[in-house]
Amino acid sequence: MVLALERVTRLYDERRALDEVSFTVRPGRMTGFVGANGAGKTTAMRIVMGVLAPTSGEVLLDGRPLTRELRRTFGYMPEERGLYPRMRVLDQLVHLGRVHGMSRAAATRRATALLDQLGLDDRSHDLLQTLSLGNQQRVQVAAALLHEPVLLVLDEPFSGLDPLAIDAMGELLRSRAAAGVPVLFSSHQLELVEQLCDDVVIIDDGRVVTAGPADEVRSRRGGRRYRVRVQGPRPAAELVPGVAGATVVEATDDTVVVELADPADDQALLAAAQAHGVLREFAVVRPTLAEIFREVVR
Amino acid sequence: MNGAMSAWGAIRVIAGREVSVKLRDRAFIGSTVFMLVLVTAATLIPVLIQQRVPSIRVAVQGAAAADVVDLATQLGHDAQDSGTALPPALAVFGEGGLPAADLTSVEVEPGRDVQQLVRDGDVAAAVVGEVPTGLTVIAAQSVPSELDVLLRAASSELQIQQAAADAGLSADQVTALTSPVMPSTQLLEARPTGAVPPELLVLVFAFLFYLSVLTFGMSIAQSVVEEKQSRVIELLVAALPVRWLLAGKVLGNTVMALGQIVVILGAGLAGATVAGQGEVVRQVLGASGWFVAFFLLGFVMLACLWAVAGSLASRIEDLQATTVVMQVLVIVPFFAALFTMDSGPVQRVLSYVPFTAPLLMPARVVLGNAAPWEPVVSALVVLATGVAFVLIGARLYEGSLLHTSSRLKALQAWRASR
Repeated sequence: MVLALERVTRLYDERRALDEVSFTVRPGRMTGFVGANGAGKTTAMRIVMGVLAPTSGEVLLDGRPLTRELRRTFGYMPEERGLYPRMRVLDQLVHLGRVHGMSRAAATRRATALLDQLGLDDRSHDLLQTLSLGNQQRVQVAAALLHEPVLLVLDEPFSGLDPLAIDAMGELLRSRAAAGVPVLFSSHQLELVEQLCDDVVIIDDGRVVTAGPADEVRSRRGGRRYRVRVQGPRPAAELVPGVAGATVVEATDDTVVVELADPADDQALLAAAQAHGVLREFAVVRPTLAEIFREVVR
Repeated sequence: MNGAMSAWGAIRVIAGREVSVKLRDRAFIGSTVFMLVLVTAATLIPVLIQQRVPSIRVAVQGAAAADVVDLATQLGHDAQDSGTALPPALAVFGEGGLPAADLTSVEVEPGRDVQQLVRDGDVAAAVVGEVPTGLTVIAAQSVPSELDVLLRAASSELQIQQAAADAGLSADQVTALTSPVMPSTQLLEARPTGAVPPELLVLVFAFLFYLSVLTFGMSIAQSVVEEKQSRVIELLVAALPVRWLLAGKVLGNTVMALGQIVVILGAGLAGATVAGQGEVVRQVLGASGWFVAFFLLGFVMLACLWAVAGSLASRIEDLQATTVVMQVLVIVPFFAALFTMDSGPVQRVLSYVPFTAPLLMPARVVLGNAAPWEPVVSALVVLATGVAFVLIGARLYEGSLLHTSSRLKALQAWRASR
C-alpha cells in the first residue's frame, strides 16, 4: 500500500501554501516530514486526510484516488490536538471508534486494550480534561490507533512529550511500521527524525526540497567530507594545504574536517595524513539531517 | 471491521452522543425537573385553591336580619353545588354567579352589644334589623366580599317577594318575577370551548415551543463550537461527511427536545387527571396533534441555523455574538404570535410565514378559525423552508467548521470551500 501525493497545490487566497508537492509514503517504513513553521506540513497532512481539499493535484493510494471510505481506515493525529474535554476517556474512544465504523463492542474491547497498553487503564472513567497533558496526548494516540488503521498520519506526535514518553511513542510507531503500515509523521525534533525515519521529506515554503531514503538524502546532500585524526608534532589542520582541492571545514588540535572539491583525490588526502603523523582516524562524514535542514532552509 | 458505513448508521452514532451527553448534563436535568415541578404545580394548585370554600360566622339580631341571613346561607350552599348556574333573582341583573360560602349564623338577643362581638373577632360581621328595608351590616374593617354579595342577593330577593305579595300577585306571577326565564343563545360561528380558554392553551404551547427552541438551539450551537474549539472536528471530518455530522446533531437534539416536551406535557396531563379535570386532558390532547407536528417541523428548520450560528464562532465566548440573529428569529415570532391572538388578516398571513407558522397555525386550529386544508399547506411551507435551510446550513457549516482562528461572517463561510 503506497500513498502518493502528486503535484498537490493549495492556495489560501493568493498565497501558495503548497506548490506542486509530490512524495510517497511506503509500506513498512517510517516517513519523516520535516519543515520550518508555516512550510506547509500541516496543510499537506490535512489534504491527505481529506480535511482540506487541494486546489490542484491529487492524493493516490496504490494509484487510485482517495475516497472518504478509504480515509476512514487511516489513523490521524491532528496537529491541533482535540478530543472532547468533558467526556470520559473510554466513552470518547468508543465514540470515535464507532465514528470510524466499528461496532460498540469491538470499539470497547480495543479501547480498553489500548488504554491498558498505554498505562491509562485506571483513568478510563475520568473526564479527559482531568488528565495531565501528557496523558491526554496518550489518549490522542489511542484515538489514532483504535480502528487498526492501514496507514498512519501523525502531525507532530512527539511535541509536548517527556523523554520517556518519546521513547515509548517511537517504539509504538516502529511496531506499527514493522507490521507493514506506512507511517507519515511530522516533527521539529530533527535528531528524533534522524533516529526513527527510513524515509525523509523536507519541505520549505510549500515546496519539497528533498525527499527519499534518509541515507540517500544525507549522502546526496553531503558532498565529500572527511574527518582526519592524526597525532603528530604540528596541528592536524596544517596537512590540508598540501592536498589539491581540499579546504578546512573545522579543526581542533589533532582533528580536522576536510571538504574535497569534485576532482580532488581522497587517496592524496590519506597519503598526506599518514605523512603528517600517526593516523588514528580517517572517515567519510555525512551531514546530519539537522545540518542539511539548516542549509536548505537558510 | 472498517467496511462501508451507512449514512444512517453514522448519523445515529453522532445523534447518540448528543443524547447521552445531554442526559448527563446537570443543567439539562435540573431545568427539566424544574419545568416538571412547575407544570405539576400549575395544574394542581388552582384545583386545591378552588376547593376551599370560605367559612364565615355572622351574628344576627332581629327578625328580618335572620330571614336574610338564612336565605344568604342557602344561596351560599347552592353555589357550592351548582357551580356556575345562575341563581334566579340575580340572573336579572346580568351574568356572574354567586360565590360559594359556608355561612354560620349566631343569634344575638335584642339589646346585647353586637358591635363588641365584631370587635372581638368572634364573628366576621353582624346583620342587624327588624324590617327588610332597614338592615345594617356591621363589620370591623370590611365585609367579606362573599358575604356582601350573598346578603345583597338575599335581601333583594326577599324584598321582591314582599312587594309582589303586597301587590296581590298570584304564585305564578311571583315566580315569574323572582325566577324569570332567560333567553336561549344561538351562536352562528361558535368557537370550540372547553374547560380551559383556547387562548391560554395557545399561550402555553407557544411558550413551550419558544423555551424549547431557545434552550436546545443554544445547546446545538454550543455542541458545535465545542467540537471546533477542542479541534475534535478534524478527526470527525476526516472520517465522516460534514452533512452527516450536521444531521446527527440536529437529530439528537430534536429527539431530546421532543422528548422533553412530551414528558412535560405528560406530567401536566397526569396532574390534571389526578385533579379530576378530565375535560382539560381531552381538550389538550385533541389540540396537541398539530402543535406537535409544527413543533417538529419548526424545530428542525431552526436547528440547522443554530448549528451554523455555532460554527461561525470559534470559541464559546463568541457564541453570544453569532447567535443574536437566531435569538431574534425565535423571540420576535413568539411575541408576534402573542399579539395576534385575534383572528384577522395579520394572523392569517403570519400563519403562513415560516418563522411564525409553527406558533400561529396550530393556534388558529385550536381557536377554530382555520379551514381544514390550511394547516397542511402551512406545514408544507415550513417543511420546504426547513429543507432549504438544511442545504444552506450544510454549506455554511462546511465552510466555517475548520476555520478555528476567529469569528466568521456568514458570507465568508458561504464562499469558503474546503
